[in-house]
Amino acid sequence: MIRIRNGLLLIGFACLISGVLFGLFSKQHVTLPTGRQEVVFWHFWGGRDRSVVDHVVQQFNDSQNQFFVRAVAMPGNNLQAKLFLAVTGGDPPDLVNQDDPILADWAQRGVIQPIETIAKSEEIAKLDRWMFQPAQRLSKVNNRYYAICNGLDIRALYYNKTLLEQEGLQPPRTLQDLDQIAAKLTPDAATARAMGLYAYLPDSRRLWAWGYVFGGQFYDATKGLAQVDSGPIQQATRWMADYGLRYGPDNLAAFRQADQSLPGKPFPLLPIQPESMVGRYGLIMDGQWRTRDIVEFTSKRRERGLPCPEFGVCPLPSPTVPMVQGRSQAGWVNGNFFVVPAGANCPEGAWEFMQFWIGLNQPKWAAQTCAAGGWIPVSQQVVETETFQRFLIQNPLFATFVELANSPNQFPTPVVPGAAMFKRTVEAAAYEAMSHPEESVTPILKQANQRIQLRLERARSQ
Amino acid sequence: MNQRGLKTICLYLTAWFMAALFSLPLLMMISGSLKSAEQLTRDPYSLLPAEWNWSNFPEALSSMPFFVYLSNTLLLCFGCVIGTTLSCALAAYGLSRVSWPGRNWMFGLVIATMLLPWHITMIPRFVLLSELGLYNSLWAIVLPTFLGEAFFIFLLRQFFMTIPEQLLDAGRIDGLSHWGLFWKIVIPLSKPALATVALFQFVTTWNDFGGPLLYLNDPKKFPLAYGLERFVSSYGDQTHLLLAAATLFTIPMIIIFFLAQKTFIQGISTTGIKG
Amino acid sequence: MPKNSNHHSEARAGWLFSMPWILGFLALFVWPFTASVWWSFCQYDLINSPEWVGWENYSRLTREAREQQGFGQALTNTLYYSLLSVPLSVVMGILLAVLLSARLRGQAIYRTLIFLPSVIPVVAASVLWLWLLDPQSGLVNYLLSWIGIPPQNWLNQARSAFSLETIGVLQNYTTGEPLKLLGSKDALILMTLWGVGNFVVIYLAAISDIPKSLYEAAEIDGASPGRKLLHVTLPMLSPVIFFNLVMGLIRSVQTFTSVYVLSEGTGAPGGSLRLISLELFLSAFSDLEMGYASAMALLLFIGLTLATTILFRTSRYWVHYRMAA
Repeated sequence: MIRIRNGLLLIGFACLISGVLFGLFSKQHVTLPTGRQEVVFWHFWGGRDRSVVDHVVQQFNDSQNQFFVRAVAMPGNNLQAKLFLAVTGGDPPDLVNQDDPILADWAQRGVIQPIETIAKSEEIAKLDRWMFQPAQRLSKVNNRYYAICNGLDIRALYYNKTLLEQEGLQPPRTLQDLDQIAAKLTPDAATARAMGLYAYLPDSRRLWAWGYVFGGQFYDATKGLAQVDSGPIQQATRWMADYGLRYGPDNLAAFRQADQSLPGKPFPLLPIQPESMVGRYGLIMDGQWRTRDIVEFTSKRRERGLPCPEFGVCPLPSPTVPMVQGRSQAGWVNGNFFVVPAGANCPEGAWEFMQFWIGLNQPKWAAQTCAAGGWIPVSQQVVETETFQRFLIQNPLFATFVELANSPNQFPTPVVPGAAMFKRTVEAAAYEAMSHPEESVTPILKQANQRIQLRLERARSQ
Repeated sequence: MNQRGLKTICLYLTAWFMAALFSLPLLMMISGSLKSAEQLTRDPYSLLPAEWNWSNFPEALSSMPFFVYLSNTLLLCFGCVIGTTLSCALAAYGLSRVSWPGRNWMFGLVIATMLLPWHITMIPRFVLLSELGLYNSLWAIVLPTFLGEAFFIFLLRQFFMTIPEQLLDAGRIDGLSHWGLFWKIVIPLSKPALATVALFQFVTTWNDFGGPLLYLNDPKKFPLAYGLERFVSSYGDQTHLLLAAATLFTIPMIIIFFLAQKTFIQGISTTGIKG
Repeated sequence: MPKNSNHHSEARAGWLFSMPWILGFLALFVWPFTASVWWSFCQYDLINSPEWVGWENYSRLTREAREQQGFGQALTNTLYYSLLSVPLSVVMGILLAVLLSARLRGQAIYRTLIFLPSVIPVVAASVLWLWLLDPQSGLVNYLLSWIGIPPQNWLNQARSAFSLETIGVLQNYTTGEPLKLLGSKDALILMTLWGVGNFVVIYLAAISDIPKSLYEAAEIDGASPGRKLLHVTLPMLSPVIFFNLVMGLIRSVQTFTSVYVLSEGTGAPGGSLRLISLELFLSAFSDLEMGYASAMALLLFIGLTLATTILFRTSRYWVHYRMAA
């Protein structure tokens, strides 16, 4: 008994001492330079993006004598919940960078401030002329800026060029090409298992992209109606579910494991084994951040003197069958955006920093940031800078994404209150449809549509 | 006789098998934390790393403010342990060694709160604590422990009941009030039970994830459990670092377990039986 | 010796000693509970003032329960998890305790090794199992392959083993195809069972309390080990089993951290890890629907109370309380 007691006492004592010691230690954080106003800035970047962010912040701070930005990394999926808690808890940051579809909800509930209350009207007018259309779509609620988009996430189709060439195949120009490639490379699950590779598998979360490619719209803004069950979206869902028919829904699930197309998760297009020339897919839809993975992969292989496959990227191929009005250069666009929470202490400083980041006045700075982070600028003016052009020459794969960023056919998740549920429900419906590929997709989409409509109406009534 | 021998062998085999099965994941975690990223993909299953890659630990440590997190965890643990032990001992004394009209009724309420899932009180509690200005403060997690915790009150009450009345009577003859009886007789006699409560609270706070998720927004205030989850979110593909971080987070618990094994086991088994 | 006859001061002392808890009870239980009940009839986002909507939140809950969406899906997930993990923990706990109470050399080692996983912090355990359950390179599938079981999808598959959908899968089964039955919730159950050590310790203590004379009497009657387990150990353990059932139920319904970490706060894949606790957290702080979340919490509480009451009611048929000596 005595030994245990001593042990416990020892632990308690150790806690006390180390707790107090470390507590004192941790007090030494970055001190605010005198005469500067602090701007607390939350973002979710971790890993290697973090250093790019820190660099922007440092550059900004060096260029300033009025404001001082303190960046706080908040990685994780539920940043929006964190921000909401902070606003209601009474201790919000001054600026948040986000990429979840919550803008309209926050605007409606007064969690965030409209940008025009902070910015001058001529600055707002400049934004309208200056910013890429998809970026504006991501920044506005009911035609008012509630956010400033600072980077676009565009998705396109990556492919293993070497593999396609070996089989005498061309990169797909139409959706039918894509289907043929799949049918030729891996006609069924058994072949795919034997090869350790699937030519292409649709990801249920990407019904958003394919819906737009098939010419659909998930939401009719003029009528305020969800139309998830409309013709083009049904066709897109059917097309995705047909891959479930081909390979069996369970095999789809196993292979989808690392598909979480997030930076930080491995890119399944790349071979894992040193001697292998193929990854787990022949073609895969993913975002522009993967070009960096490919560059790193290639240089690593070259360094070790290993053979290296070539990769390519093309816009999502659109269907050319009768009855379908497909869109070219289309897709689902998302992006990072800044918002200023209600109750922020220093909105002026936040606005200064936003302008600095997107390069509204000095595109050169923004070009450097975008090149360093591998981010898509939000304005043609930044794209045209010398710095960024040089980056594009070094990263030819990236150019496709930049072109798509200026396409009018890139649509985000509808910016309406309830968008998070909207997005989730569409994805869940696609998942459901792909898990039961033998069934009709219509009732699944109809049910999803009803629930979304209810949610939208409830949001409107608030 | 022969059959008996066979039975014993079977028993031993099963025991070894189960013990191996239960400890395997832990061993894998430790061995995985000592493998380099490349080794992990090439040979994830071997228990002994081909070469011991200690550098995962410093790398994991430098990828997050580990010591800041650790100090917060320890501050939280310290505060919560003090809070719980004190408040629960007081309440348990009031509910066991003082005879007053509302006592049994009150004890029933204590038990009832044990059955109430935390979900119900989560939102209003959040509102209340933020109104008190405790949002983004370690106090949001520490303060409620100063207001008692049903399970520990129950545990201590059961223990206090076993203290012989004669001892208290002797104290009363010496002119001790309830306050005196509590500090001079009951507390010294209840050290094992108090140690159990302190230990359990320590472990609970060490592991607490929901509290920091709700109440803390400044990384300088994050405790380890929450910091580790953040780490998972931002280094999802660096399994070797994740395992190293998880190992670092776990080892103190294992050490504490071995130091205080008896208290652990006794604590758990008494709570089970007395229920 | 007469007890302190001053009732007044006794009462005052009683209240004073219990005061911290009473304060806590009022501030952290009574008020929150009342507020929750009120908000469950409101539309409320914590920012704008609550707006009375009557039974709307509840009718939404029942509708979702019917459609197996949102709350309905979370309810099914929670029921699946609780109804499997609690009984399995009890059975496994008893079997392990019986095994570990046998007089074996190195008994302390086995006990420690089996108990140890239950002191591993949940966040760390979740990180660990995410890796062990990887369908491609995880240890679990590797071990399963030794005994000829095809690799399972675990945390990547929404469908769980004991679901209606599984019947369809089995009907469409063609030989040669690997059968993938175990999904994300089965993975969660596996992880829970790994931490069963807590229960084992309780059973072990209870078993050691069983008087030897009972076993001796049974042996004289020529009872086999199986019969001894059935007719001596189990009845004597029944109060503890009952306690563990209740505690296990409460604990399983509140499971939050593991599903949060395993799914990075989303409840993926396909919402299959959205247990009620996670659904509630996300409804409240991600969708900003406090009223709806409060209604859900209340229904959960009512359900849990009902389940506990039923357990208590049935307990007199199978729980044997030993006469106090």
